[in-house]
Amino acid sequence: MSIVLEQLNKRYERHPVVQNVSLELTDGEFFVLLGPSGSGKSTILRMIAGLASIDQGRVLLHGRDVTGLPPQARGVGFVFQNYALFRHMSVAENVEFGLTIRKVGKAERRRRRDELLELVGLGGLGARMPRQLSGGQQQRVALARALAYQPEVLLLDEPFGALDAQIRIELRRNLRRIQREIGTTTIFVTHDQEEAFELADRIGVMNAGRLLEVGPPEELYQHPQTEFVATFLGTANLLLGRTTDDGVQVGPLHFPLSTAARPGNGDRRVQVLFRPEDIALANSLDDLPGPALGQAEVEQTTFVGSFERLRLRLPAIAGVRPIAPEVPYGVDALLVEASRSQDQARAFPLTAGAQVWLGVRRMHALAHPGLRMLLLTDGGAATRPALELGAQIARMAHARTTILGWGEAQTLQPHLQRLREEFGPGLPALDAHTADDDLSVALAAEIERQPYDLAVISTQPPHNDDLAMQLLREGEQHLLLVPRAQPLPERVLICVATGEPGKDDVQFAARLLRHLGASATVLSVLASTASQLDRERTERFVEAGVRSLTLLGVPAESRLRSGPVRQEIVAEMAAGGYGMLVLGTPPMGRDGRAALAGVVGEILTAITEQAVLLVRSQSVAQRRWHVTSRQAVNLEELTR
Amino acid sequence: MTQQALRFKPARAGSDWGVRAAAFTYLTVMLILPLAIIVQDGLRGGIGSIVQVLAQPVAWNALLLSLWTAAVMAAINAVMGTLTAFVLVRYQFPGKALLNALVDLPFAIPTLVTGVMLVVLYGPQRALGAWLNQNLGIKIIFAPPGIILALLFITFPFVTRAVQPVLAALDRDQEEAAATMGASRLMILRRVVLPALAMPLATGALLSFARAIGEFGAIVIVAGNIPLRTQTAAVFVYGEIESANQRAATAMSVVMLLIAFSLVVLVDYLQRGRNDA
Repeated sequence: MSIVLEQLNKRYERHPVVQNVSLELTDGEFFVLLGPSGSGKSTILRMIAGLASIDQGRVLLHGRDVTGLPPQARGVGFVFQNYALFRHMSVAENVEFGLTIRKVGKAERRRRRDELLELVGLGGLGARMPRQLSGGQQQRVALARALAYQPEVLLLDEPFGALDAQIRIELRRNLRRIQREIGTTTIFVTHDQEEAFELADRIGVMNAGRLLEVGPPEELYQHPQTEFVATFLGTANLLLGRTTDDGVQVGPLHFPLSTAARPGNGDRRVQVLFRPEDIALANSLDDLPGPALGQAEVEQTTFVGSFERLRLRLPAIAGVRPIAPEVPYGVDALLVEASRSQDQARAFPLTAGAQVWLGVRRMHALAHPGLRMLLLTDGGAATRPALELGAQIARMAHARTTILGWGEAQTLQPHLQRLREEFGPGLPALDAHTADDDLSVALAAEIERQPYDLAVISTQPPHNDDLAMQLLREGEQHLLLVPRAQPLPERVLICVATGEPGKDDVQFAARLLRHLGASATVLSVLASTASQLDRERTERFVEAGVRSLTLLGVPAESRLRSGPVRQEIVAEMAAGGYGMLVLGTPPMGRDGRAALAGVVGEILTAITEQAVLLVRSQSVAQRRWHVTSRQAVNLEELTR
Repeated sequence: MTQQALRFKPARAGSDWGVRAAAFTYLTVMLILPLAIIVQDGLRGGIGSIVQVLAQPVAWNALLLSLWTAAVMAAINAVMGTLTAFVLVRYQFPGKALLNALVDLPFAIPTLVTGVMLVVLYGPQRALGAWLNQNLGIKIIFAPPGIILALLFITFPFVTRAVQPVLAALDRDQEEAAATMGASRLMILRRVVLPALAMPLATGALLSFARAIGEFGAIVIVAGNIPLRTQTAAVFVYGEIESANQRAATAMSVVMLLIAFSLVVLVDYLQRGRNDA
């Protein structure tokens, strides 16, 4: 292994920029880190080179732990976007710099320098000064300079970012050839997917400080696991569907999957991906090779050289929700991106306005459906902390987010507009609208319209406790209660009781925490009367939870306490410096209020500083708590 | 676009002459005329008369004193001015904006006041001055160290202000690149940072040197006017004028002018070189 990164973490002013990034590169591999600007890819490169400090984690180069070493001792070659040539030295002196530092003899230095200048195609230009060279030539000098002292690894930070498209293509080919020739393990950082596809043996896609997926270019393009990768690499048509035993149900339409769904998935929400080239177009339904999506209208055709790009508009299909391409506000239709070869275009010409049958040749279901979040606001200052924390989490989790406002329409509209402007950038999608009817009716309609994973509300008075009850009773979302303004949690306490619901708690918590870069402690509280057998069983359960969290990239540890549940949890919260508490929701009574009765209610009363995540289990009926109090608790009382 | 250019051209050509003539006249009256007169006056007796004046020990010593104190000052200034610029560019600390503004203050303070300040601080009757004299045997006031201190104060901004913008524009990537290639911090400073600063540093030091040669006000207060010991060239010129010896005064003036002129030409040459880079 040439380069091994273990659980790298970095924060700037409490804001995580690199989160739990682990990676292993084989000898001679050409690896491309791809992501939008600000995703942390350059920071990782700088951490490997020693130019940025590492908060947590380790960097190993050829088995040597270099985490604490200065850049001088790491032996890496680094190429910067703006070349960073020494302007007062000639090209030859630049290339020889690393050798001079290593006290290599003059003759050997000359030989190496000429060899490298030859390699990058600048033979005979050694006497020039950097300013006498073009940008592309300067970057080739920088490459020769970084390779002159035979570094262990080669790191390139958007090296072609400042160059013209034509020169970029030429340099890419050169770089690939040179890398093959010398066989130095290479990491190349870029935001240009074309560059990534052309250069990489493997690509790692980054977003918001996390390494989302790693794989060969084709694999990532055809079978992405996350919404971000699906939409960032190439053009994607993404619809929301549900898995069935032999395929995917998208609204009333059933598609067999071209890639095998994971076994035992049953009925689960998934995102379904088809690429533009997976679309089949025909004059009649019978001519379609695969299952049909419907009859569409051609909205636009674009000639792009070797192929034709089409944008099609499908009438809305009941129950089918589009994720990408984004449907403009107020449009009641599905948009589909398609492409076909010029041959196909000539054989079956289409112009804007034409009606055409649209089928899908191939489909792929994403393993991880994106998170959907619901934020609620009455426009007042009291809901502000919940909105802020919710938006921060949504940004980190790349969650599609809806803000539902209620109250005075006059003040609410500008308030929502401000929120759109404030939170919109950085979110994959933000929808903000007002509850026109009664809040509970509007909320019920919203949850019905689309399922959410997480709702965030404030528990600061004045608030609406019926809202919390309703959010726990209806729909399938989990609930985050935010008592006051707080930063993103860095440490989270997950309280579990043994059994199926406890597993759900851990699983959802892991899904969320993975995005936040937080670490977790899994706590179970035993009754003081618990038998040795109970204790061992609980220990095993908690350890299993830790394993599940670690597997998903959330650093976790286990803790057991014994005593009264409420007292022990509150004590642990106070002792551990946690920023968030995760609890399972207790079984629900017929009036719905009982949802917050008992131990959970008591704990909520006691925790007034940190956010509390109430996880709803699919197998909630089996949830067992050491219930010590059974009367219904009013939320308003809880949070005073 | 084309129309506008056509409409604009004749007017510009007309006013161009006026502007040029005004600037040229101003330059002639204010700068060239006095310079020409003094050169003409100084050279009236031929080069020989200048040599004759400089051959007097008092004049020669005054010129030497001016030159070596200015040289010492320029050397100190080159090091400390660069250091100041480094701190102002590379570090963040409270009061940085104020310190940055303070750097320019010596330009605004009358040099006489500078002299007074130094006398108050280092004068033999003052605690610091007396202590230095008794314990270390260093005499500051009425001695060459006083001259150097005064010159340092007056020329403080030159090197700092010349180096600062270049240092700020110097991208850190070059230093980081050198570090990844294995260069130690000292090596990076020596091989990467200082070479980039060489030109502005030389410019600043030369300008401060030129400025120091001509300094009068602060020196006359701090060092007095003791021939052969603390009398500098500028003070010598003043003394000769006072004693109505205009020939000696203009002769020395011409020499000082010549030094200043060659320095300015050199600075100009250096800056030209930098702009080409």
